[in-house]
Amino acid sequence: MAEKFDSLEEHLEKFVENIRQLGIIVSDFQPSSQAGLNQKLNFMVTGLQDIDKCRQQLHDISVPLEVFEYIDQGRNPQLYTKECLERALAKNEQVKGKIDTMKKFKSLLIQELTKVFPEDMAKYKAIRGEDPPT
Amino acid sequence: MGGDRAGQAGMMENFSALFGGAEPQPPAAAAALGFGPGKPAGPGSAPPPTAAAPQSGEDHSRKTAASSGPFYLMRELPGNTELTGSTNLITHYNLEHAYNKFCGKKVKEKLSNFLPDLPGMIDLPGSHDNSSLRSLIEKPPICSSSFTPLTGTMLTGFRLHAGPLPEQCRLMHIQPPKKKNKHKHKQSRTQDPVPPETPSDSDHKKKKKKKEEDPERKRKKKEKKKKKNRHSPEHPGVGSSQASSSSSLR
Repeated sequence: MAEKFDSLEEHLEKFVENIRQLGIIVSDFQPSSQAGLNQKLNFMVTGLQDIDKCRQQLHDISVPLEVFEYIDQGRNPQLYTKECLERALAKNEQVKGKIDTMKKFKSLLIQELTKVFPEDMAKYKAIRGEDPPT
Repeated sequence: MGGDRAGQAGMMENFSALFGGAEPQPPAAAAALGFGPGKPAGPGSAPPPTAAAPQSGEDHSRKTAASSGPFYLMRELPGNTELTGSTNLITHYNLEHAYNKFCGKKVKEKLSNFLPDLPGMIDLPGSHDNSSLRSLIEKPPICSSSFTPLTGTMLTGFRLHAGPLPEQCRLMHIQPPKKKNKHKHKQSRTQDPVPPETPSDSDHKKKKKKKEEDPERKRKKKEKKKKKNRHSPEHPGVGSSQASSSSSLR
């Protein structure tokens, strides 16, 4: 899986470097550099062709749209991954807390009900069978 | 008379059918639950909400009610699932390494820290120069499906005027100054004089060099001081001796 990313990354780096060199040529253009400019322009087209070919290998890869917002703001996209993990952990802890609290409540409720309704709670436990109060 | 009695019996049958069958209510259950008289007890006596309720639902509820004994509205527990919120999902999905990598260390804020080799001012928002990815998704550019190389006639459109670009367009080539600072930092390290070393750290060669340089420096400093003292009015003795010597020469 990493290989197809490496191939795409390589093509993108070459494309960006080509564009950068094209920009340098254009920034202070001389008539003698027209041939080089034409070559760079054709490299740009072939570069886009190579990148387009990589698309077939990556058709199953999906990127969340929120990452694009980070990039558009000039922020590191790894911050999105970091925030996702932090949110997942926080939600995990929150739900675990709820589950633990409900379990404690259940055990306390059964305990108190057993004091008040011992016979009924014995029947309840018999019906529930393998679900002993915690 | 017979017809009226038959009609009344039919009405009674319909009346009893509407309000459930003639099931005997268990008196012990009612007493155990502590319900007083006048309150409904047992599932059989409860009237169904609508006459058109599906029969299978009613049968299921009657079965569960019958199996639950005195506990009305007792439902079956949901099936036990292995994966719940009480388990650590990060360890479950083997994301510990990713968590330590992203949340254990400081992740730098800027995009240029993620893509240091990308030229241009990439830390600026994309809305400033219409280079946002969002606009590309919302309004994709209309283009052909294939990429064809540029022909000679097409390339004639790229014949440019000689000379430098105006300053407005030159901003595209400005890169973030981080690399320059690194080089400067490295250069400053090499250009800075050797920091004072402890006697244990210095080599013998450096010691020898320092010994050789130190007396020369001292001599130069002494000569400079002598020159200063000769020309300064604070030392009349030296100045008078110079004057006497100069006069004697004349």
